[in-house]
Amino acid sequence: MLRWSSRNPRHWHEFINHEVCVTAGDQQRFEGRVFTVDPVSASVVLLSVQENECPSVRVILGHAVTDVQILRRGTEETERQMKSVFLPDRAQVLSAEELKSRRESVRLWLEKNRVPVTEDGELLCVANALTISAPYRPGDCSSANEIILSRIQSLVESIPGAEQPSAQTHQ
Amino acid sequence: MKTPVSVLRLPRGPDPNSRGFDPSSPRFLALCPTSVPSSSSSSSDEEEQRLRAELRERFLRTLLLMTGKRVRFDMHEHVRVHARFGASDIDVLNLQVSDLETPLGVQREALLRCQDVIACSFEV
Repeated sequence: MLRWSSRNPRHWHEFINHEVCVTAGDQQRFEGRVFTVDPVSASVVLLSVQENECPSVRVILGHAVTDVQILRRGTEETERQMKSVFLPDRAQVLSAEELKSRRESVRLWLEKNRVPVTEDGELLCVANALTISAPYRPGDCSSANEIILSRIQSLVESIPGAEQPSAQTHQ
Repeated sequence: MKTPVSVLRLPRGPDPNSRGFDPSSPRFLALCPTSVPSSSSSSSDEEEQRLRAELRERFLRTLLLMTGKRVRFDMHEHVRVHARFGASDIDVLNLQVSDLETPLGVQREALLRCQDVIACSFEV
């Protein structure tokens, strides 16, 4: 039986989103849902799953972990709940349709302003000098040319219509 | 318990003769290609790399969430201390904390060795 910290990332990844019981060095036991396992230190990050309580996070250092047992498997819903605790709004994944419609509306707005833009998969390419990646906000523009960058950024910022505000508050 | 204490011992600085990282750290040994990898095609390496990146990104977000919060550190021999979490180093070997509450008093700034810590807990 290999030591926990000698395992490979594939093994650790299997535990994400499941409720586990982690046994640490001196017979201490910790229960919670696995958010991640740090590949550098093999530390396990658990989120407490109690209802009606402030969620609490526990990080168990890799060197202390002796055993990890899955108690209950997680679901897409539990993964989503976990992500809402840890990840800020910006990193949340929009659905494919939402992304497509946003990409479309940004592209049309740029074309309306006589900006040469092409679609390259999920990216929008402007004049071979700037790309806009999902989810197509001013902060997602990248270019080597400062002038083009600032012009396109202000254009994307001023897009009319039902745009979500960039700062949503969760919880 | 809340009386502040003066600095007990300064941490050791970085090795002045090295390039700044420790060639004997577990991370360096794991990632440095000193040995021939045992059976891995390039596609499985890519997959492993992708998993590593995802796992590490999630861990970094956990550290971000922990910054500035009051964290409880469970250490060996059932020792428990509270402190405000500051930062971790890249190899997760040391943790920088503030206002560490110890039986001697409150240490304004301190460095905890990860080898001494079993777990850290905090409320979101």
